[in-house]
Amino acid sequence: MAFKWASIPLFILLWSTSASCATSDFENTAIVRSAELGGSVVHVTTTYSVRALVDNSKTYTVVLGAYERSKTSWIEAKIKGQDKALPTTERAESDYTLIDVSLPTALSTNKTLNLVLETVQTHATVPWPATAAQTEEQKLKYGTDLFVLSPYKTLIQRTKLRSIAPRIVAHTEPQGVDKFAGDALVTKSGSTIVYGPYSNIPPSANQNFVEEYQQRVEIQYYLEQPVLEVTEYKRAVEVSHWGANVNTQDEITLHNAGPKLKGHFSRLEHQVQSYTRKLAPHLLPALQLNLPAGIRNAYYYDQIGNVSTSKLRVAPLGPKGFPRSQQSVLELKPRYPLLGGWNYTFTLGWDAPLEGSVSYNKKTGAYTLAVPILTPVPGSVVNNEELTIILPEGATDVDFATPFAPVSATLGTHVTYLDTVGRPSITLRYENLTLKHAQEVYVTYKVPFTAHLRKAVSVAFAFFSLFAVAIIARRIDLSIGPKQKVQ
Amino acid sequence: MPSLAYPVPTDLSPTTVKNATSFLKIVALALISGAAIASRLFAVINFESIIHEFDPWFNYRATKVLAAKGFYEFWNWFDPTAWYPLGRVVGGTVYPGLMATSGVIYNVLRALNLPVDIRNICVLLAPGFSALTAWATYLFTTEMKNESAGLLAAAFIGIVPGYISRSVAGSYDNEAIAIFLLMFTFYCWIKALKTGSALYGTVAAVFYFYMVAAWGGYVFITNMIPLHALVLMLMGRFSHRLYVAYCSWYVVGTLSSMQVPFVGFQPVSTSEHMGALGVFGLLQIVAFTDLVKSHVSSQNFQKLLRVSLVAAGILGASAFAFLTYAGKIAPWTGRFYSLWDTGYAKKYIPIIASVSEHQPTAWPSFFMDLQMLIFIFPAGVILCFKELRDEHLFVIIYAVMASYFAGVMVRLMLTLTPVVCVASAIAFSSLLDVYVNPIEPDVPAEEAPAVEAVPANGVTETTTTTGGKKSKKADKPAAVQASGSALSSLFAAKSPGKGSKRTTGIFGLDSRGVVLLNAIWMLAYFVFHCTWVTSVAYSSPSVVLASQNQDGSQHIIDDFREAYYWLRQNTAEDAVVMSWWDYGYQIAGMADRPTLVDNNTWNNTHIATVGKAMSSSEEKAYPILRKHDVEYVLVIFGGLIGYSGDDINKFLWMVRIAQGVWPDEIQESNYFTPRGEYKIDENASKTMKESLMYKMSYYRFAEVFGPQQAVDRVRQQPVPKTPITLDYLDEAYTTENWIVRIYQVKKEDSLGRDLKNANAFATGKKGKKSKPQPRRRALVA
Repeated sequence: MAFKWASIPLFILLWSTSASCATSDFENTAIVRSAELGGSVVHVTTTYSVRALVDNSKTYTVVLGAYERSKTSWIEAKIKGQDKALPTTERAESDYTLIDVSLPTALSTNKTLNLVLETVQTHATVPWPATAAQTEEQKLKYGTDLFVLSPYKTLIQRTKLRSIAPRIVAHTEPQGVDKFAGDALVTKSGSTIVYGPYSNIPPSANQNFVEEYQQRVEIQYYLEQPVLEVTEYKRAVEVSHWGANVNTQDEITLHNAGPKLKGHFSRLEHQVQSYTRKLAPHLLPALQLNLPAGIRNAYYYDQIGNVSTSKLRVAPLGPKGFPRSQQSVLELKPRYPLLGGWNYTFTLGWDAPLEGSVSYNKKTGAYTLAVPILTPVPGSVVNNEELTIILPEGATDVDFATPFAPVSATLGTHVTYLDTVGRPSITLRYENLTLKHAQEVYVTYKVPFTAHLRKAVSVAFAFFSLFAVAIIARRIDLSIGPKQKVQ
Repeated sequence: MPSLAYPVPTDLSPTTVKNATSFLKIVALALISGAAIASRLFAVINFESIIHEFDPWFNYRATKVLAAKGFYEFWNWFDPTAWYPLGRVVGGTVYPGLMATSGVIYNVLRALNLPVDIRNICVLLAPGFSALTAWATYLFTTEMKNESAGLLAAAFIGIVPGYISRSVAGSYDNEAIAIFLLMFTFYCWIKALKTGSALYGTVAAVFYFYMVAAWGGYVFITNMIPLHALVLMLMGRFSHRLYVAYCSWYVVGTLSSMQVPFVGFQPVSTSEHMGALGVFGLLQIVAFTDLVKSHVSSQNFQKLLRVSLVAAGILGASAFAFLTYAGKIAPWTGRFYSLWDTGYAKKYIPIIASVSEHQPTAWPSFFMDLQMLIFIFPAGVILCFKELRDEHLFVIIYAVMASYFAGVMVRLMLTLTPVVCVASAIAFSSLLDVYVNPIEPDVPAEEAPAVEAVPANGVTETTTTTGGKKSKKADKPAAVQASGSALSSLFAAKSPGKGSKRTTGIFGLDSRGVVLLNAIWMLAYFVFHCTWVTSVAYSSPSVVLASQNQDGSQHIIDDFREAYYWLRQNTAEDAVVMSWWDYGYQIAGMADRPTLVDNNTWNNTHIATVGKAMSSSEEKAYPILRKHDVEYVLVIFGGLIGYSGDDINKFLWMVRIAQGVWPDEIQESNYFTPRGEYKIDENASKTMKESLMYKMSYYRFAEVFGPQQAVDRVRQQPVPKTPITLDYLDEAYTTENWIVRIYQVKKEDSLGRDLKNANAFATGKKGKKSKPQPRRRALVA
């Protein structure tokens, strides 16, 4: 019984929040959603023109459908024209997810605001048809919900789907929404399909509306770039204070997620295509990656050795305080052109000067290390990443801050060259990363002076004991009886 | 005090000289080791740290298994992916010494927190062991002459191309460690023989065991040491030192060698090992005779003994012959016969003859591999004759045997190289001894002109006279009462008999200078030659090919790895790949896919099956492919860029090997034109053009050239324009330069048709379909 009584305040709280939605603090004067259709990554920008209906409205709620939420790996809400992201909290319901955005200043009645919700969807497109021969084009299918749901009344709403190439094969006609539509349910112009405008939509974040009007619309379009996926991305970053060096090594499993190759690869066809500069759109001949400035000793190899077909242009390291003005460019050519459904695993690594990514705080005596989470492969999604940060041996007070929450974070010990007790390491796991996630993890740690000396002392000791053993061994006579000289 | 040709310091104490000598010796050995390792790194610097060629890929793969799973797992390793579907018991069919060595190094380094990549250990094992070989050769030659000869021998073996050819970085083969073991076992044997020490005999046995575990060439030691012992006995040089040395070596060595599973009971059951056993028995008889002789002094008894000795020898030999005949002792293997008759293999075992390293050696390769050593070598052997101590006999026997074998088989050049280095070092250091020695001979003034000719013809003569007594005296330089300095006493020790007047020798600085400068020039030129040969001829990984761009920069042709990596990444893990056996180890190592045949070549029939499939027509080959679950067929084709080691050039061997098993179905003559030429152009025979190999190699090749005449750049022949159709195979992948072409075997037709008909129907259908259409359109209109 006590339990029941205790849960009452919570119940009231829940009821009051849902009631606050229902009573409508806001009204959407316009919602425009535009999706940039790419390969494995789709950028969706939704602009909400908001008008407050009551005073002191501080929390605006946006809604993502369940399917969209499952495909979305990045959510960011901003006031239009501002850089600062607004804090958000998520509440999951059965058909949709409510995202509460805390506005920086409370709105009074009839004040308006333009809120921009940026999301990145991964794996939202499917190759359609699922196979393509070497000479055929690549077509993809993208599906989304017709309406942008909102707990508030919406005056006008549009959904734009834009593909890169101005060639759209087909799209769905929405059904049963004539009530909202003006002249056309859907219009097509060049590379863009526009659903809407639909006007006077009642608060839609409820079961009734979703069941009655919400529907899936699909679009099939040509894509002239290969659809790339990094199924496995392992990055190990090792800091060495003795070597004044930060080594980064990426083990990348690349997969062409476009339509599977129908039949087989013909080199002759490929050579003809390269000669006429009309390569198959689902074929990846080479890849360009941006690496940090000032790197050295870059290497690129795979399981069976060095891949000699790569070019690296190293940008010089900028002055202190203005790093990354330029980036080094690595053009790498896989051993074979990557066609639909093919895999390619490789390892990429480089050394960078310590001062480029570590700073020292004299007051606290702590070092701060900035580790980029990933080097984005253009237009690709990273399905799983494991980021391991290896600190110098004997580092203490290890702490780290991540820009977004990892799936898991573990601390461990890594033992490598000339170590005695091993180095502290941090392992972070992530899923579905895109260009937007290419941010930095900050690690702070202290290295006592004795820890710096440990390596030198242990090596010296090892050599000393070796010599000592040799000195003793030369002076021990193990022979039985007096030595006799035999000619 | 004799007169000196050039001044030597007189105020040095003997200890200073001794310390300086030993310090210089250590520095010289360290530098030699450094040079030996460094000259083998051309392959790593020019290309990369990669495993070379074919067999090393298997060794590398086995080492990875050993490093990852431990020794017992390796010992019991059954590899189902090799020799599909038979599989291979790897643990019992390899010499595990090489893998065990790398495994031990790997684990020791890991235990020391030095996690070196196993591949780098494998790549650098051979250079590392070459430094040890230089050291072992130094010890061995020191036993033969003195330390300066030892240092020369070490320097020679360190950089001589004959040894480098098998031990560059990445050449991860048994020979990489075996030559060190060979030289060290021989050193221990000589040491045991000289001292009569059972300890050294046992050490020799232990290293012999290591050698048995490491290389099939251990049979060379198994026969060299008994032969030496036998010759010593025949020369009446039997001694108890010989008895102790040989018995301790033979007993411990044989018993321990039988612990290697691949060797097993061979040391007591095969012909190759019978010599050692026979000598062991003979030694017992001789020792017994010796014992009896020391107690009984009757001449008749001695005669009787001699007769019984001969009788026992004949009895033993006939027993051996009988046992061989009865099958108790395995007869000589085919590979062994081919050592005596170079034409044997070609006639009876084409698979052995098809390997290029089993061909007889061409004479220029002696000069290529050994340069000046090859003509100094006989001089060294003659010098050994001059002195003829027990250990010198060893060098002589070794030189004779190894020279013969090196002439028979290219790869056995490797066993000749050490003895060439040793003998040349003896000769060269004798030369230097004579000409560096500052002591002028005491000759009346009028005889001087006669000695002018010494540099021309007196070399061997004078060197032998000095070399003769020098080493005995060099052992105890302190015993020589030096009237002058310590240095001159060193030279005095090398000069013949003190007190007796020297009547021959070298006069003046000029004659010395001419010879020494010439010698130094020869040595310097030797170094240049070795460096050049190593960098140009022996440092190519053969997995990666290099060519030059028009601007002179290096262009890497990496087709092999491209294809193997494609197989590894984009085919099912259990997809069976058929290729000629040369590429078996590489496919297993780099593509990680099951193969039908590989470089192990233990099953001739299986290889012949692949040969038959390659040389038959598609219809005939298809059942063979399907029965062996073959998913992909891989061929090497060099016609586009002119890579001459391709499958069309090896094709005749496939035909020959297949013919050996199926003489009714495959005949070599069918693959030649009526005029007896091996052609691939229009005139090629029908059988040739229909063979799977031909079709796979030239499929769509002519289309590359467009309207121009297609030319095969390897064979310099025009390729017919008529398109080749493949009914049972599909082209799956072709590499950038067309070197590797991979075909997928089609599954049986789902409608149960013959694939040829199905294919014809599929292509014919298009034509039929297009015909009715206009009619239909006409109806609509």
